[in-house]
Amino acid sequence: MGSSVSQAGAPPPHPPTYASTPPFAPAAADAADAAAAPPPKPHEEEATEEKVDYLNLPCPVPYEEIQREAFMALKPDLFEGMRFDLTKMITPYFALTHSVAMGSIEIPAQGSEVIKVPTSNYEFGANFINQRTMLMGRVSHEGRENIRVKHDITDNLSLKINAQLTSEPHYSQGMLNFDYKGKDFRSQVQFGNNGFYGANYIQSVSKNLSLGTEAFWLGQQRKSGVGVVARYDTKKMVATAQIATTGMVALSYVQKVSEKVSLASDFMYNQMTKDVTASFGYDYMLRQCRLRGKLDTNGVISSLLEERLTPGVTFQLSAELDHWKKDYKFGFGMALGE
Amino acid sequence: MGSVASAAVPPPPPQSALPQAGAPPYGPGLAGILPQMSKGEEKKDEKVDYLNLPCPVPFEEIQREALMSLKPELFEGLRFDFTKGLNQKFSLSHSIFMGSLEVPAQASETIKVPTAHYEFGANFLDPKLMLIGRVMTDGRLNARVKCDLTDNLTLKVNAQLTQEAHYSQGMFNFDYKGSDYRAQFQIGNNAFYGANYIQSVTPNLSMGTEMFWLGHQRKSGIGFASRYNTDKMVGTLQVASTGIVALSYVQKISEKVSLASDFMYNHMSRDVTASFGYDYLLRQCRLRGKIDSNGVVAAYLEERLNMGVNFLLSAEIDHCKKNYKFGFGMTVGE
Repeated sequence: MGSSVSQAGAPPPHPPTYASTPPFAPAAADAADAAAAPPPKPHEEEATEEKVDYLNLPCPVPYEEIQREAFMALKPDLFEGMRFDLTKMITPYFALTHSVAMGSIEIPAQGSEVIKVPTSNYEFGANFINQRTMLMGRVSHEGRENIRVKHDITDNLSLKINAQLTSEPHYSQGMLNFDYKGKDFRSQVQFGNNGFYGANYIQSVSKNLSLGTEAFWLGQQRKSGVGVVARYDTKKMVATAQIATTGMVALSYVQKVSEKVSLASDFMYNQMTKDVTASFGYDYMLRQCRLRGKLDTNGVISSLLEERLTPGVTFQLSAELDHWKKDYKFGFGMALGE
Repeated sequence: MGSVASAAVPPPPPQSALPQAGAPPYGPGLAGILPQMSKGEEKKDEKVDYLNLPCPVPFEEIQREALMSLKPELFEGLRFDFTKGLNQKFSLSHSIFMGSLEVPAQASETIKVPTAHYEFGANFLDPKLMLIGRVMTDGRLNARVKCDLTDNLTLKVNAQLTQEAHYSQGMFNFDYKGSDYRAQFQIGNNAFYGANYIQSVTPNLSMGTEMFWLGHQRKSGIGFASRYNTDKMVGTLQVASTGIVALSYVQKISEKVSLASDFMYNHMSRDVTASFGYDYLLRQCRLRGKIDSNGVVAAYLEERLNMGVNFLLSAEIDHCKKNYKFGFGMTVGE
């Protein structure tokens, strides 16, 4: 969430960057989940046998992924209309993707009435994934490009690049990240266009607790900010808190009820806009399908169902009801080869 | 389609009612196809017995096979229907619809607004009497009655009542079923009167005629219909003095697959449309699709998840207007 806090300070350019970060986080989150799962076990055993070994703490979760469990449950990829994704593996490292989306898109309207127009979109993508390098590109038929690069320079140092390029002048975005992974800490330095600079550091303080801080500078707006985060996680629960001088307060709590069911909640408060939102959701993993739903204080109820029909074929149903705005979105889709 | 021709002039509501009225008789109508087989066999054995021809399909249902394949109930958004049977004859139904509704807009752009409504229904079904009522959250009421007065004479009533003045509609039908012919007399509001007659000419061919009078508009019309059907195909032709020409052809490829086509021409408005579609019946699901000369591609999937639980997927893409409609739904207890 650190990235989103710094980006919230610069609304026009950074929301697109934020939009690209969540898709990145879940992918890394899955890998990090596998990586993070084993270390706690030996430490827990050690804890029962002896005092906490402060010289051998686990490596914390990356700063911008501190809320990843809440994200997975509370922010699924909802859509309206029809969606079709096809992924074709050319070699074990190289894949092509074709995505078609058709449905309604909301256009700004006077008053509180919601108005939509039908729209359709095709996107072509190419992925290269290797032990040390990941290259992802997406181009849509409107000329927009989305690029992501991740390269391990050394075992501890990674380079990450996010870019969105458009045909319209001055609307392109780019972000460069250097991530350093220490034994029980992580640090990151970020460079973005429009004179954006950011840095963050997160340190494991105990076996279950990690604390972090970040600072960012928006050159063109001559604005700076500082933020702090805390994360406490065990095998059964994850709790996070985040505060920034931009006036943002974010809390989240995820409880694993069983191997299949997780309950999640989060709270977001912005002192500048006096905007406050609380969300509650569930993530239900069954043998062949996954069901996620959420309810928030803005009167929005949503649900996403993903069912695996056969290996490599996934069927999706998406539903979102905004009772206050009286806006309803329903869609279905299919993903092949994913 | 004769009724549609006459209805095309004044009352869209009766037009919407007729498909509903047509839906229930499909059951007995389909059973009516079976006697054709025995007639076919007899035809091979001996000369056609013109004194023992089968009873023809009702005049307004002459195109029912094409309608089933080419005009499924497409929708956008979410649809949920729940039917609860209280006893053998009486049941209640609850329907929820949420999605986008198209609003008239200037230029060629399509604009939609989200909408939602709930509909409550009560049904009474008895061998001789059928009562169906539907009431919606905006106060509209839809009522249908069918009563067998004698073995051959049936009374049908369709009504749509609204709160807006002068927008309510009603229609009375008296249907008489003879041994090889059918006759129908219709009385509607706004001084509408209509009559039609259809007669079997051979075991596979039936021909009919209709006439109607719209009192308020001081307008009358005449129509002619013809239908030829065997076990494997159905061909229909319909012409009316309102300028409508309608042709349809349905071919049964196998027990599971049917192909359908229809052609519609309106001499008055110079509007012409041709459609091609398929109806694919699998063990647990039914898939219908169509493409027409207006650039519309549509598909409708109904899958039975359990006894009494159906899952629906609806998709319609209008390439010329660049309008896309997608929806899913569920039917419980139907």
